Amino acid sequence: MSTETIQVGQAVPDFALETYNPATGDFDEVSIEKQKSEGRWTALFFYPADFTFV
Amino acid sequence: MGCDIITVSGDTKFVHLAWQTSEQELSAVKYQMGADPTGKLARMFGVWLEDAGVPLRGTFLISPDGTLMNTEINFLNMGRNIDEMMRKFKANMYLAKKATEGCPAKWKEEGDVTLKPSAKMVGKVHEALANDGNPA
Repeated sequence: MSTETIQVGQAVPDFALETYNPATGDFDEVSIEKQKSEGRWTALFFYPADFTFV
Repeated sequence: MGCDIITVSGDTKFVHLAWQTSEQELSAVKYQMGADPTGKLARMFGVWLEDAGVPLRGTFLISPDGTLMNTEINFLNMGRNIDEMMRKFKANMYLAKKATEGCPAKWKEEGDVTLKPSAKMVGKVHEALANDGNPA
């Protein structure tokens, strides 16, 4: 499965992720649709894997 | 700072929970930890290493209208510097409010000199930077 890579200045396609939310200690979900509807900036921080040095 | 940080790796939300609750270094973490076990999102942003099955250290800033505004991609062994990230985030958030301005290389925060491209500015960037953004 290949997806076209987004460039700076382009619209980010809709996406949603299952999350763990440490602020509530519960599972949650984030989506770009919700961020847009609430007028919020989003920063995605990708990192290789849990249980490795940060 | 008016920006929601979401961390993302190929781990599931269950592993995120186990890591955050067992690692004392992460005890103060408050941001959402996203699960991208198939690498679908990482591929969308061009940071998925197919052979290793993990994402590179990519950072992506998305504006409230859903536009990708900034990227930084570091290799696996290179950590991110929060001051570098914050400068770029602040500049993008400032420019979203000030569409006619540009943030020069040394811009650090609101109040620092910005430039307004115009015919008068051509060949006078040096003078403008020394004169509160106005070409002399």
